[in-house]
Amino acid sequence: MLAIAARRLVSMLLIMFVISVLLFLFFEGDKLNLAARVLGPYSPMTGRLAWLEHNGYNRPLITRYLAWIYGFMRGDWNQSAQFDAPVFDFLLPRLKNTAILGACVFVLTVAISLVLGVFSGIAEASKRDRAITVISVLTTSVPEFASATFLVAIFVYWLDWLPGSSSFNNGFSWREMILPVATLVIYNFGYYTRMTRASMAEVMNSQYIRTAVLKGLPYHQVIIRHALRNALIAPFTVMILQLNYLLSGVVVTEVFFAYDGYGKALYDAAMFGDVYLILAGAMIAVVVAVVSQFISDVGYTQLNPRIRFS
Amino acid sequence: MSDTEHKLIGTLKQQLAEKTIGRRDFLRFATLLGLGAPAAYEFANRIDGGIAPAAYADDLPKGGIIRIAQRVPKLDNPHTFSWIYDSNCVRQVCGYLTRTGADNITRPDLASSWEVSDDLKTWTFHMNPKATWHKGGAFTAEHAAWNIKHCLDPAVGSSVIGLMKGYMLKDVDTGKLDDKGAKVMTTELWDANAIEVKDPSTLVLHLQEPQVAVPEHFFHYPFLMLDPAENGVFAMGSNGTGSFEMTVLEVGRKCEFKRIADRPGQVDELHFVDLGDNPSAVAAALASKQVDGIFQGNIEQYDIYKGMAHTDIHSIVTAQTAVARMRSDSKPFDNPAVRKAVRLATDCEKTLQIAHKGVGSAAEHHHVAPVHPDYFKLPPMPRDVEGAKKLLADAGFKDGIDIEINCKPDPSWEQAAVEAMAEQWKEAGIRAKINVLPSNKFWEVWETVPFGFTEWTHRPLGFMVLALAYRTGVPWNESAYSNKEFDDLLTKAEGTVDVKARSEILGKLEKIMQEDGPIAQPLWRSVFAAYDKRVKGFNIHPTLYIFGEDLAIEKA
Repeated sequence: MLAIAARRLVSMLLIMFVISVLLFLFFEGDKLNLAARVLGPYSPMTGRLAWLEHNGYNRPLITRYLAWIYGFMRGDWNQSAQFDAPVFDFLLPRLKNTAILGACVFVLTVAISLVLGVFSGIAEASKRDRAITVISVLTTSVPEFASATFLVAIFVYWLDWLPGSSSFNNGFSWREMILPVATLVIYNFGYYTRMTRASMAEVMNSQYIRTAVLKGLPYHQVIIRHALRNALIAPFTVMILQLNYLLSGVVVTEVFFAYDGYGKALYDAAMFGDVYLILAGAMIAVVVAVVSQFISDVGYTQLNPRIRFS
Repeated sequence: MSDTEHKLIGTLKQQLAEKTIGRRDFLRFATLLGLGAPAAYEFANRIDGGIAPAAYADDLPKGGIIRIAQRVPKLDNPHTFSWIYDSNCVRQVCGYLTRTGADNITRPDLASSWEVSDDLKTWTFHMNPKATWHKGGAFTAEHAAWNIKHCLDPAVGSSVIGLMKGYMLKDVDTGKLDDKGAKVMTTELWDANAIEVKDPSTLVLHLQEPQVAVPEHFFHYPFLMLDPAENGVFAMGSNGTGSFEMTVLEVGRKCEFKRIADRPGQVDELHFVDLGDNPSAVAAALASKQVDGIFQGNIEQYDIYKGMAHTDIHSIVTAQTAVARMRSDSKPFDNPAVRKAVRLATDCEKTLQIAHKGVGSAAEHHHVAPVHPDYFKLPPMPRDVEGAKKLLADAGFKDGIDIEINCKPDPSWEQAAVEAMAEQWKEAGIRAKINVLPSNKFWEVWETVPFGFTEWTHRPLGFMVLALAYRTGVPWNESAYSNKEFDDLLTKAEGTVDVKARSEILGKLEKIMQEDGPIAQPLWRSVFAAYDKRVKGFNIHPTLYIFGEDLAIEKA
């Protein structure tokens, strides 16, 4: 357990190092464009060069990189060129917003897909199974920007029930959460449902379930006591791995609804070439990815009695 | 003011009386030369019986909050602003020396009047005695002089330098060399006394070259008059001369302004809400009444805005455009007949309808807009497919020509316009392959490709773009166009202050563009914004400036 945690930690640091070096190199050629974006398209070249000098972009690459790493470790994540704020202070409330969005989506998606997946899996090839399968495949194959457009057309323009943007300008609002959460749940639940169904169907065909049924146990007890736990191992792993998606896969939805989260901030930063904000965003994404992998590994061993850390 | 009146104002009055210039051109040029707007309107009204616009309507509703969807970028350094967004925020707090209205007429603001010498080289500005700072004290000529000098300081990096360099600055060698061994140049005032504070209320500018548009340049968006004590930095609690003070600033989220009780205006507060770059979020926010107005509408969303029962669309034609320009030094465009054939094969009105939903006006292939004061109306140049075929046949292209046009995909109307035109050209035997490049790639090759579709922004006077884009050898001459007669006429136009005489010269330039020029130009774009019907007093400006003190909102 400790060994695997250490291994993960090392690999995480390695990934962070490689990604940060690559990003640094990538934006090195874009420095002058960054100055042009900060100072505007009609700014004179002398002004741009002065800006680079004044903001320390002219120091050697290696010096800047080491300074950045040193600052990053100490919680000083540098200044965002676009938003004129410390990167850490800027990202924190946005990460919180994305965490709220991700949590709502995760809970709803898991609840819906477990129920549907189990109902689908225990009666393979039934009409119910076919109906659920068709719905899951359909919703998963519609990209977020399309379903978001449909939802807005119906609930904002036509019925006028819900607000069309979710920027929380007057503080947090559940009403503004509805459309972005719905968009993401619609896109995600089909995939989870299919995973749960496949796993459930496989378990239901196994001999110990047949034994349990033949033994005369009530059907619901067979499902809950014997089938469910074993059927959940595979979907659990997939769902935890999808946590990563809920951080970096929400860009489209956040931008669409002007939801002020991590995804929109990263999108703005990428469009602007705001290198320190992109770096910090990438580091956070790596941490979340590796940690969710670790949780998934540990959880897998806890759920599956055949695998135990020695 | 009559004893200091510019000698050309008399000529302008004469021309208005003889109806050789329009009312609008009279107002515009008379005010530019220092005649007060009320006096100019009064004179114009005596001649043509028109009505001056009501100053401030007393029946506008008072109080309330207006929320406008607009990006909120950082605001710390107003003199380097390069977007309209940031200036729209700071404009609520700080003012300009002059103000050019939606009617293109420049009026006094922090400068209450001005005169210019007959050679257009000495401009005298009188500061408005009623202008005061929030924190007390009058706005003086020293403050104005400090702001002008700050904008013209190369270390600040303001785009004002590009406007005023010709008549206020000279190049100086820093004595340093850059990495490639080239001299590093900088600029300084052409004369130590170029900006003279005569007394606390009088500012005199001494120009090295005649310039007619100085008052207009003072309305350039970064040219905000800041409190010199704050050293060019704008922040919460910054001093200003406007109606509002800033109460909230979250870059990338929102920016809020509160009206100071005894200053002009109706609303209590003005909020700018940042909804990001996605126009559909902005439209949905307006539809669900989360905002009362939007800074600028996107043409793809035009029908959505039109479909909203509770909003009005405000639009105004500008000189923003894009042109299909042909490099006159590459085949087959080195033959003027081929270039004219491309023009004749283009249906401007249809392209406007298809690519820009009819929001704008059809162009005439000469890059001078009807909104320019010195525009000359030529007889129409309608589409003529047979004429185009004949021109091509005579030029030796009996079977038509195969060409490739480069364009970029955003804004999307540009690609749509190119597709529409390519379809129209086919009928005349001009078979154009369309090569869509990503924007950043496009801007790497825009000057060098043989055939490309390039956007050009609004410039206030008709000859300005012609001088930037079609004069022999200038940096932005992307079509390598070179025509001695054209250059000579252009120089003459630039030296002609008299608008009527200049418009006649422009007429000749326009004719050359149509007959020989390197472009086919389909349309002029309108800019538009959508506001809730409850918002009163909004008057869309061609540059999308927002003036909070003009706005009012009815209670819901």
